[in-house]
Amino acid sequence: MSAALRSVNGEIRVDMRSFNTFSEIKDQLEEKLRRIDSYALGTLVTLDMGDKHLSSKQIREIEDILLDHGLHLRELRSNSRPREEEDENPFSDMPGYSDTALICRHLRSGQKVFCEGNLVILGDINPGAEVVAGGNIVVMGSLRGLAHAGAFGDESAIISAYRLSPTQLRIANHITRPPDGEVIVVSTPELARIRAGKVVIEKLKI
Amino acid sequence: MKSRVIVITSGKGGVGKTTTTANLGTALAMTDKKVVMIDTDIGLRNLDVVMGLENRIVFDIVDVVNGNCKLKQALIKDKRFDGLFLLPAAQTKDKTAISPHQMKNLTNELRKDFDYILVDCPAGIEQGFKNAVAGADDAIVVATPEISSVRDADRIIGMLEASGLNNARLIINRLRSKMVKRGDMMDINDILDILSIELLGVVPEDESIVVSTNRGEPAVLETASRAGGAYRRIARRLMGEKVPMLSVDEENVNFVDRFRKILKLAR
Repeated sequence: MSAALRSVNGEIRVDMRSFNTFSEIKDQLEEKLRRIDSYALGTLVTLDMGDKHLSSKQIREIEDILLDHGLHLRELRSNSRPREEEDENPFSDMPGYSDTALICRHLRSGQKVFCEGNLVILGDINPGAEVVAGGNIVVMGSLRGLAHAGAFGDESAIISAYRLSPTQLRIANHITRPPDGEVIVVSTPELARIRAGKVVIEKLKI
Repeated sequence: MKSRVIVITSGKGGVGKTTTTANLGTALAMTDKKVVMIDTDIGLRNLDVVMGLENRIVFDIVDVVNGNCKLKQALIKDKRFDGLFLLPAAQTKDKTAISPHQMKNLTNELRKDFDYILVDCPAGIEQGFKNAVAGADDAIVVATPEISSVRDADRIIGMLEASGLNNARLIINRLRSKMVKRGDMMDINDILDILSIELLGVVPEDESIVVSTNRGEPAVLETASRAGGAYRRIARRLMGEKVPMLSVDEENVNFVDRFRKILKLAR
Protein backbone atom coordinates (compact mmCIF):
# COMPACT_ATOMS: atom_id res chain seq x y z
CA MET A 1 0.00 0.00 0.00
CA SER A 2 1.28 3.43 -0.71
CA ALA A 3 0.09 6.96 -0.67
CA ALA A 4 -1.52 8.25 -3.82
CA LEU A 5 0.23 11.34 -5.06
CA ARG A 6 -1.26 13.47 -7.77
CA SER A 7 -0.36 16.70 -9.37
CA VAL A 8 -3.27 19.07 -9.99
CA ASN A 9 -2.81 22.53 -11.46
CA GLY A 10 0.79 22.73 -10.31
CA GLU A 11 -0.17 21.60 -6.80
CA ILE A 12 0.54 18.30 -5.15
CA ARG A 13 -2.23 16.36 -3.50
CA VAL A 14 -1.30 13.49 -1.22
CA ASP A 15 -3.91 10.96 -0.20
CA MET A 16 -3.09 9.67 3.27
CA ARG A 17 -6.43 8.06 4.02
CA SER A 18 -5.11 4.51 4.09
CA PHE A 19 -2.61 5.06 6.90
CA ASN A 20 -3.41 4.83 10.55
CA THR A 21 -0.50 5.89 12.70
CA PHE A 22 1.33 9.14 12.48
CA SER A 23 4.71 7.46 12.06
CA GLU A 24 3.34 5.58 9.03
CA ILE A 25 2.14 8.82 7.55
CA LYS A 26 5.48 10.45 8.12
CA ASP A 27 7.43 7.56 6.63
CA GLN A 28 5.20 7.45 3.56
CA LEU A 29 5.44 11.16 3.04
CA GLU A 30 9.24 11.13 3.32
CA GLU A 31 9.45 8.28 0.83
CA LYS A 32 7.19 9.94 -1.70
CA LEU A 33 8.89 13.25 -1.50
CA ARG A 34 12.30 11.71 -2.03
CA ARG A 35 11.03 10.50 -5.41
CA ILE A 36 9.52 13.75 -6.53
CA ASP A 37 12.49 15.98 -5.95
CA SER A 38 12.10 17.21 -9.49
CA TYR A 39 9.16 19.42 -8.49
CA ALA A 40 9.75 23.11 -8.37
CA LEU A 41 10.56 24.73 -5.06
CA GLY A 42 7.66 26.37 -3.32
CA THR A 43 5.00 24.06 -4.69
CA LEU A 44 1.95 23.85 -2.51
CA VAL A 45 0.86 20.56 -0.99
CA THR A 46 -2.59 19.47 0.13
CA LEU A 47 -2.84 16.48 2.43
CA ASP A 48 -6.02 14.45 2.70
CA MET A 49 -6.09 12.83 6.12
CA GLY A 50 -9.48 11.07 5.95
CA ASP A 51 -10.90 10.48 9.41
CA LYS A 52 -7.60 10.92 11.19
CA HIS A 53 -6.87 13.85 13.31
CA LEU A 54 -3.51 15.54 13.73
CA SER A 55 -2.46 17.62 16.68
CA SER A 56 -0.87 20.97 16.03
CA LYS A 57 2.51 19.47 16.93
CA GLN A 58 2.09 16.74 14.32
CA ILE A 59 1.05 19.29 11.72
CA ARG A 60 4.21 21.23 12.46
CA GLU A 61 6.27 18.04 11.90
CA ILE A 62 4.64 17.52 8.55
CA GLU A 63 5.28 21.10 7.58
CA ASP A 64 8.94 20.62 8.51
CA ILE A 65 9.20 17.53 6.33
CA LEU A 66 7.65 19.40 3.42
CA LEU A 67 9.93 22.36 3.91
CA ASP A 68 12.96 20.07 3.83
CA HIS A 69 11.94 19.31 0.27
CA GLY A 70 11.18 22.90 -0.58
CA LEU A 71 7.41 22.43 -0.45
CA HIS A 72 4.74 24.26 1.49
CA LEU A 73 1.72 22.85 3.23
CA ARG A 74 -1.33 24.45 1.74
CA GLU A 75 -4.13 22.59 3.35
CA LEU A 76 -4.81 19.65 5.59
CA ARG A 77 -8.09 18.00 4.77
CA SER A 78 -9.65 16.01 7.51
CA ASN A 79 -13.13 14.69 8.23
CA SER A 80 -12.54 14.46 11.94
CA ARG A 81 -14.25 16.99 14.09
CA PRO A 82 -12.09 20.08 14.46
CA ARG A 83 -13.15 20.20 18.16
CA GLU A 84 -10.71 17.47 19.11
CA GLU A 85 -7.74 19.65 18.47
CA GLU A 86 -9.02 22.22 20.86
CA ASP A 87 -8.93 19.69 23.65
CA GLU A 88 -5.26 20.47 24.00
CA ASN A 89 -6.11 23.97 25.12
CA PRO A 90 -8.86 23.77 27.72
CA PHE A 91 -9.59 27.49 27.43
CA SER A 92 -9.96 27.77 23.69
CA ASP A 93 -13.69 27.25 24.00
CA MET A 94 -13.79 30.33 26.19
CA PRO A 95 -15.86 33.09 24.68
CA GLY A 96 -13.46 34.88 22.38
CA TYR A 97 -13.71 37.94 24.59
CA SER A 98 -16.91 38.72 22.85
CA ASP A 99 -18.20 40.03 26.16
CA THR A 100 -16.77 43.18 27.62
CA ALA A 101 -17.81 44.50 31.00
CA LEU A 102 -17.96 48.19 31.69
CA ILE A 103 -17.52 49.31 35.29
CA CYS A 104 -18.49 52.90 35.93
CA ARG A 105 -17.17 53.46 39.43
CA HIS A 106 -14.05 53.54 41.54
CA LEU A 107 -12.82 50.23 42.86
CA ARG A 108 -11.72 50.64 46.43
CA SER A 109 -9.51 48.57 48.67
CA GLY A 110 -11.00 45.12 49.24
CA GLN A 111 -13.20 45.21 46.16
CA LYS A 112 -12.71 42.74 43.36
CA VAL A 113 -14.06 42.51 39.84
CA PHE A 114 -13.80 39.52 37.56
CA CYS A 115 -14.85 39.21 33.93
CA GLU A 116 -14.31 36.35 31.51
CA GLY A 117 -13.89 38.78 28.65
CA ASN A 118 -12.49 42.27 28.52
CA LEU A 119 -12.85 44.82 31.27
CA VAL A 120 -13.20 48.55 30.90
CA ILE A 121 -13.20 50.61 34.08
CA LEU A 122 -14.32 54.21 34.03
CA GLY A 123 -12.77 55.12 37.36
CA ASP A 124 -9.76 54.42 39.51
CA ILE A 125 -8.52 51.13 40.86
CA ASN A 126 -7.18 51.90 44.28
CA PRO A 127 -4.47 50.00 46.13
CA GLY A 128 -5.91 46.83 47.61
CA ALA A 129 -8.50 46.44 44.84
CA GLU A 130 -8.26 43.70 42.24
CA VAL A 131 -9.43 43.40 38.67
CA VAL A 132 -9.15 40.10 36.86
CA ALA A 133 -10.13 39.57 33.24
CA GLY A 134 -9.83 36.72 30.78
CA GLY A 135 -9.11 39.30 28.12
CA ASN A 136 -7.76 42.81 28.16
CA ILE A 137 -8.11 45.48 30.83
CA VAL A 138 -8.52 49.15 30.06
CA VAL A 139 -8.66 51.63 32.94
CA MET A 140 -9.90 55.10 32.14
CA GLY A 141 -8.43 56.39 35.37
CA SER A 142 -5.58 55.56 37.70
CA LEU A 143 -4.58 51.96 38.14
CA ARG A 144 -3.01 51.79 41.58
CA GLY A 145 -4.10 48.32 42.63
CA LEU A 146 -3.71 44.89 41.08
CA ALA A 147 -4.72 44.00 37.55
CA HIS A 148 -4.59 40.57 35.95
CA ALA A 149 -5.28 40.36 32.23
CA GLY A 150 -5.39 37.16 30.21
CA ALA A 151 -6.21 35.26 33.37
CA PHE A 152 -6.80 32.04 31.41
CA GLY A 153 -3.36 32.15 29.88
CA ASP A 154 -3.75 34.55 26.98
CA GLU A 155 -0.32 36.11 26.67
CA SER A 156 -1.50 38.58 24.06
CA ALA A 157 -3.72 40.34 26.61
CA ILE A 158 -2.89 43.93 27.45
CA ILE A 159 -3.45 46.23 30.38
CA SER A 160 -3.68 49.91 29.72
CA ALA A 161 -4.46 52.76 32.04
CA TYR A 162 -4.72 56.50 31.94
CA ARG A 163 -2.23 56.48 34.83
CA LEU A 164 -0.46 53.19 35.27
CA SER A 165 1.03 52.91 38.76
CA PRO A 166 -0.06 49.47 39.94
CA THR A 167 0.99 47.56 43.02
CA GLN A 168 1.27 44.53 40.77
CA LEU A 169 0.56 43.63 37.17
CA ARG A 170 -0.24 40.14 35.95
CA ILE A 171 -0.63 39.07 32.36
CA ALA A 172 -1.37 35.37 31.81
CA ASN A 173 1.17 33.65 34.08
CA HIS A 174 3.59 36.56 34.26
CA ILE A 175 3.71 38.56 37.48
CA THR A 176 5.50 41.89 37.72
CA ARG A 177 5.73 44.71 40.19
CA PRO A 178 7.27 48.16 40.02
CA PRO A 179 10.95 48.20 40.97
CA ASP A 180 11.72 48.85 44.63
CA GLY A 181 12.84 52.26 45.70
CA GLU A 182 12.22 53.83 42.34
CA VAL A 183 9.44 56.31 42.04
CA ILE A 184 8.70 56.89 38.40
CA VAL A 185 6.10 59.51 37.81
CA VAL A 186 4.60 59.23 34.36
CA SER A 187 1.75 61.51 33.47
CA THR A 188 0.72 59.93 30.20
CA PRO A 189 -1.40 56.86 29.45
CA GLU A 190 0.58 53.66 29.33
CA LEU A 191 0.15 50.11 28.18
CA ALA A 192 1.54 46.84 29.54
CA ARG A 193 1.95 43.77 27.35
CA ILE A 194 4.17 40.75 26.98
CA ARG A 195 7.05 41.10 24.59
CA ALA A 196 9.67 38.38 24.30
CA GLY A 197 8.39 36.66 27.41
CA LYS A 198 8.52 39.75 29.58
CA VAL A 199 5.95 42.25 30.69
CA VAL A 200 6.94 45.59 29.24
CA ILE A 201 5.32 48.96 29.74
CA GLU A 202 5.12 51.32 26.84
CA LYS A 203 3.57 54.63 26.10
CA LEU A 204 0.03 54.33 24.85
CA LYS A 205 -0.21 55.79 21.39
CA ILE A 206 -3.68 56.80 20.39
CA MET B 1 -35.36 70.31 61.63
CA LYS B 2 -34.86 66.74 60.55
CA SER B 3 -32.41 64.96 62.78
CA ARG B 4 -29.28 63.41 61.29
CA VAL B 5 -27.53 60.24 62.35
CA ILE B 6 -23.85 60.60 61.46
CA VAL B 7 -21.37 57.78 61.88
CA ILE B 8 -17.72 58.69 62.43
CA THR B 9 -15.46 55.94 61.20
CA SER B 10 -11.99 55.26 59.83
CA GLY B 11 -11.14 51.58 59.60
CA LYS B 12 -7.74 52.06 61.14
CA GLY B 13 -7.43 52.63 64.85
CA GLY B 14 -5.82 55.62 66.51
CA VAL B 15 -6.51 58.18 63.79
CA GLY B 16 -8.86 60.23 65.94
CA LYS B 17 -12.42 58.96 65.58
CA THR B 18 -13.21 59.44 69.25
CA THR B 19 -11.49 62.82 69.45
CA THR B 20 -13.39 63.92 66.35
CA THR B 21 -16.70 62.70 67.77
CA ALA B 22 -16.13 64.46 71.09
CA ASN B 23 -15.10 67.73 69.44
CA LEU B 24 -17.80 67.80 66.79
CA GLY B 25 -20.43 66.88 69.36
CA THR B 26 -19.29 69.66 71.63
CA ALA B 27 -18.96 72.18 68.79
CA LEU B 28 -22.50 71.40 67.62
CA ALA B 29 -23.81 71.70 71.17
CA MET B 30 -22.09 75.09 71.45
CA THR B 31 -24.48 76.33 68.77
CA ASP B 32 -27.47 75.21 70.89
CA LYS B 33 -28.17 72.08 68.92
CA LYS B 34 -29.40 69.00 70.74
CA VAL B 35 -26.68 66.43 70.29
CA VAL B 36 -26.17 62.87 71.48
CA MET B 37 -22.95 60.94 71.00
CA ILE B 38 -23.13 57.14 70.97
CA ASP B 39 -20.02 55.15 71.77
CA THR B 40 -20.30 51.83 69.93
CA ASP B 41 -16.82 50.61 70.84
CA ILE B 42 -18.13 48.04 73.28
CA GLY B 43 -15.34 46.58 75.39
CA LEU B 44 -12.91 49.40 74.62
CA ARG B 45 -14.89 52.48 75.42
CA ASN B 46 -13.09 55.82 75.32
CA LEU B 47 -15.55 58.54 74.45
CA ASP B 48 -16.67 58.92 78.06
CA VAL B 49 -13.04 59.42 79.13
CA VAL B 50 -12.35 62.00 76.43
CA MET B 51 -15.50 63.87 77.48
CA GLY B 52 -14.57 63.58 81.17
CA LEU B 53 -17.81 61.78 81.97
CA GLU B 54 -16.46 58.38 82.94
CA ASN B 55 -17.43 58.59 86.60
CA ARG B 56 -21.08 59.29 85.80
CA ILE B 57 -21.80 56.06 83.95
CA VAL B 58 -24.50 53.91 85.52
CA PHE B 59 -26.16 52.25 82.53
CA ASP B 60 -24.76 51.72 79.05
CA ILE B 61 -25.84 50.94 75.49
CA VAL B 62 -26.07 47.19 76.13
CA ASP B 63 -28.39 47.81 79.09
CA VAL B 64 -30.58 49.92 76.84
CA VAL B 65 -30.91 47.41 73.99
CA ASN B 66 -31.50 44.58 76.44
CA GLY B 67 -34.21 46.53 78.21
CA ASN B 68 -32.41 46.67 81.57
CA CYS B 69 -33.04 50.39 81.74
CA LYS B 70 -34.85 53.15 79.90
CA LEU B 71 -32.97 55.04 77.19
CA LYS B 72 -33.25 58.29 79.16
CA GLN B 73 -31.63 56.68 82.18
CA ALA B 74 -28.54 55.66 80.22
CA LEU B 75 -28.00 59.06 78.60
CA ILE B 76 -25.38 61.10 80.43
CA LYS B 77 -25.74 64.85 80.29
CA ASP B 78 -22.54 66.77 79.58
CA LYS B 79 -20.96 68.88 82.32
CA ARG B 80 -20.80 71.98 80.13
CA PHE B 81 -23.73 71.95 77.73
CA ASP B 82 -27.34 71.14 78.47
CA GLY B 83 -28.02 69.99 74.92
CA LEU B 84 -25.17 67.48 74.82
CA PHE B 85 -25.58 63.85 75.84
CA LEU B 86 -23.50 60.71 75.78
CA LEU B 87 -24.68 57.13 75.46
CA PRO B 88 -21.67 55.15 76.71
CA ALA B 89 -20.56 51.71 75.57
CA ALA B 90 -20.34 48.75 77.92
CA GLN B 91 -16.84 47.88 78.99
CA THR B 92 -17.41 44.33 80.20
CA LYS B 93 -19.07 42.93 77.06
CA ASP B 94 -18.03 42.69 73.42
CA LYS B 95 -19.27 43.90 70.03
CA THR B 96 -21.68 40.97 69.62
CA ALA B 97 -23.73 42.20 72.59
CA ILE B 98 -25.81 44.31 70.20
CA SER B 99 -27.03 43.73 66.65
CA PRO B 100 -27.34 46.15 63.71
CA HIS B 101 -31.11 45.83 63.97
CA GLN B 102 -31.12 46.90 67.64
CA MET B 103 -28.79 49.77 66.77
CA LYS B 104 -31.20 50.97 64.09
CA ASN B 105 -34.09 50.95 66.53
CA LEU B 106 -31.98 52.81 69.05
CA THR B 107 -31.02 55.60 66.64
CA ASN B 108 -34.62 55.92 65.48
CA GLU B 109 -35.66 56.33 69.11
CA LEU B 110 -33.04 59.07 69.59
CA ARG B 111 -34.16 60.94 66.46
CA LYS B 112 -37.25 62.08 68.33
CA ASP B 113 -35.27 64.15 70.81
CA PHE B 114 -32.04 65.15 69.10
CA ASP B 115 -30.87 67.17 66.11
CA TYR B 116 -27.60 65.34 65.72
CA ILE B 117 -26.81 61.77 66.66
CA LEU B 118 -23.08 61.14 66.34
CA VAL B 119 -22.05 57.50 66.32
CA ASP B 120 -18.44 56.81 67.30
CA CYS B 121 -17.48 53.69 65.37
CA PRO B 122 -14.86 51.22 66.60
CA ALA B 123 -11.80 50.41 64.49
CA GLY B 124 -12.07 47.43 62.19
CA ILE B 125 -14.62 46.20 59.69
CA GLU B 126 -16.38 43.54 61.73
CA GLN B 127 -19.53 43.48 63.84
CA GLY B 128 -18.74 46.76 65.59
CA PHE B 129 -18.56 48.59 62.29
CA LYS B 130 -21.76 46.95 61.06
CA ASN B 131 -23.55 48.00 64.24
CA ALA B 132 -22.30 51.56 64.00
CA VAL B 133 -23.38 52.16 60.40
CA ALA B 134 -26.74 50.39 60.76
CA GLY B 135 -28.87 53.43 61.46
CA ALA B 136 -26.71 56.15 59.91
CA ASP B 137 -27.78 58.75 57.33
CA ASP B 138 -24.33 60.21 56.79
CA ALA B 139 -20.79 59.10 57.34
CA ILE B 140 -17.63 60.96 58.22
CA VAL B 141 -14.40 59.16 57.45
CA VAL B 142 -11.37 60.22 59.47
CA ALA B 143 -7.94 59.64 57.99
CA THR B 144 -4.45 60.76 58.84
CA PRO B 145 -1.95 61.55 56.08
CA GLU B 146 -0.37 58.11 56.22
CA ILE B 147 -0.54 55.42 53.57
CA SER B 148 -1.94 52.82 55.96
CA SER B 149 -4.68 55.13 57.18
CA VAL B 150 -5.64 56.17 53.65
CA ARG B 151 -5.71 52.54 52.55
CA ASP B 152 -8.05 51.60 55.39
CA ALA B 153 -10.19 54.67 54.76
CA ASP B 154 -10.54 53.56 51.14
CA ARG B 155 -11.69 50.12 52.28
CA ILE B 156 -14.16 51.68 54.70
CA ILE B 157 -15.59 54.01 52.06
CA GLY B 158 -16.16 50.97 49.88
CA MET B 159 -17.95 49.22 52.72
CA LEU B 160 -20.02 52.31 53.49
CA GLU B 161 -21.08 52.45 49.84
CA ALA B 162 -21.99 48.77 50.01
CA SER B 163 -24.30 49.53 52.93
CA GLY B 164 -25.94 52.41 51.13
CA LEU B 165 -23.96 55.36 52.53
CA ASN B 166 -22.76 56.98 49.34
CA ASN B 167 -22.24 60.45 50.73
CA ALA B 168 -19.29 59.86 53.04
CA ARG B 169 -17.19 62.94 53.73
CA LEU B 170 -13.58 63.09 54.75
CA ILE B 171 -11.76 64.68 57.65
CA ILE B 172 -8.00 64.70 57.33
CA ASN B 173 -6.62 64.63 60.83
CA ARG B 174 -3.20 65.42 62.28
CA LEU B 175 -1.81 67.14 59.20
CA ARG B 176 1.63 68.64 59.74
CA SER B 177 1.93 71.48 57.28
CA LYS B 178 5.69 71.77 57.73
CA MET B 179 6.21 68.14 56.81
CA VAL B 180 3.90 68.49 53.84
CA LYS B 181 5.88 71.49 52.63
CA ARG B 182 9.09 69.50 52.91
CA GLY B 183 7.45 66.72 50.93
CA ASP B 184 7.72 64.29 53.83
CA MET B 185 3.99 63.83 54.29
CA MET B 186 1.12 63.13 51.92
CA ASP B 187 -0.65 66.35 51.10
CA ILE B 188 -4.38 66.89 50.95
CA ASN B 189 -4.57 66.50 47.19
CA ASP B 190 -2.73 63.18 47.26
CA ILE B 191 -5.31 61.85 49.69
CA LEU B 192 -8.31 63.27 47.86
CA ASP B 193 -6.95 61.86 44.61
CA ILE B 194 -7.09 58.34 46.00
CA LEU B 195 -10.24 58.55 48.09
CA SER B 196 -12.19 60.83 45.74
CA ILE B 197 -14.82 61.90 48.27
CA GLU B 198 -15.86 65.30 49.51
CA LEU B 199 -13.50 66.93 51.98
CA LEU B 200 -15.22 68.12 55.12
CA GLY B 201 -12.19 69.58 56.78
CA VAL B 202 -8.55 69.37 57.74
CA VAL B 203 -7.42 69.25 61.34
CA PRO B 204 -3.79 70.19 61.97
CA GLU B 205 -1.55 68.25 64.29
CA ASP B 206 -1.83 69.97 67.64
CA GLU B 207 -0.30 69.08 70.98
CA SER B 208 -3.19 70.72 72.77
CA ILE B 209 -5.34 67.73 71.74
CA VAL B 210 -3.27 65.48 73.98
CA VAL B 211 -3.66 67.86 76.88
CA SER B 212 -7.38 68.38 76.41
CA THR B 213 -7.99 64.65 75.94
CA ASN B 214 -6.16 63.84 79.15
CA ARG B 215 -8.12 66.50 80.98
CA GLY B 216 -11.45 65.36 79.57
CA GLU B 217 -12.12 68.75 78.00
CA PRO B 218 -12.67 68.77 74.21
CA ALA B 219 -10.27 71.07 72.35
CA VAL B 220 -13.08 73.07 70.74
CA LEU B 221 -13.64 74.73 74.13
CA GLU B 222 -10.22 76.35 73.92
CA THR B 223 -10.21 79.32 71.61
CA ALA B 224 -6.45 79.20 71.19
CA SER B 225 -6.34 75.58 70.03
CA ARG B 226 -5.72 75.30 66.29
CA ALA B 227 -7.26 71.83 66.15
CA GLY B 228 -10.21 73.11 68.14
CA GLY B 229 -10.71 75.90 65.60
CA ALA B 230 -10.61 73.41 62.77
CA TYR B 231 -13.27 71.29 64.49
CA ARG B 232 -15.48 74.34 65.01
CA ARG B 233 -15.30 75.09 61.30
CA ILE B 234 -16.08 71.47 60.46
CA ALA B 235 -19.11 71.59 62.75
CA ARG B 236 -20.38 74.67 60.91
CA ARG B 237 -19.94 72.87 57.59
CA LEU B 238 -21.90 69.94 59.04
CA MET B 239 -24.75 72.33 59.76
CA GLY B 240 -24.75 73.32 56.11
CA GLU B 241 -22.84 76.59 56.38
CA LYS B 242 -20.40 77.45 53.63
CA VAL B 243 -17.10 77.81 55.43
CA PRO B 244 -14.11 78.22 53.13
CA MET B 245 -11.29 75.71 53.47
CA LEU B 246 -8.18 77.28 54.85
CA SER B 247 -5.04 76.55 52.95
CA VAL B 248 -2.32 74.67 54.78
CA ASP B 249 -0.44 77.91 55.37
CA GLU B 250 -3.41 79.68 56.88
CA GLU B 251 -4.14 76.66 59.00
CA ASN B 252 -0.67 77.09 60.41
CA VAL B 253 -1.34 80.33 62.23
CA ASN B 254 1.85 81.82 63.50
CA PHE B 255 2.41 83.25 66.93
CA VAL B 256 1.76 86.88 66.02
CA ASP B 257 -1.54 86.03 64.38
CA ARG B 258 -2.65 84.01 67.33
CA PHE B 259 -1.69 86.83 69.67
CA ARG B 260 -3.70 89.25 67.60
CA LYS B 261 -6.64 86.89 67.63
CA ILE B 262 -6.61 86.65 71.40
CA LEU B 263 -6.49 90.44 71.67
CA LYS B 264 -9.44 90.71 69.36
CA LEU B 265 -11.39 88.22 71.44
CA ALA B 266 -10.54 90.05 74.66
CA ARG B 267 -11.96 93.29 73.37
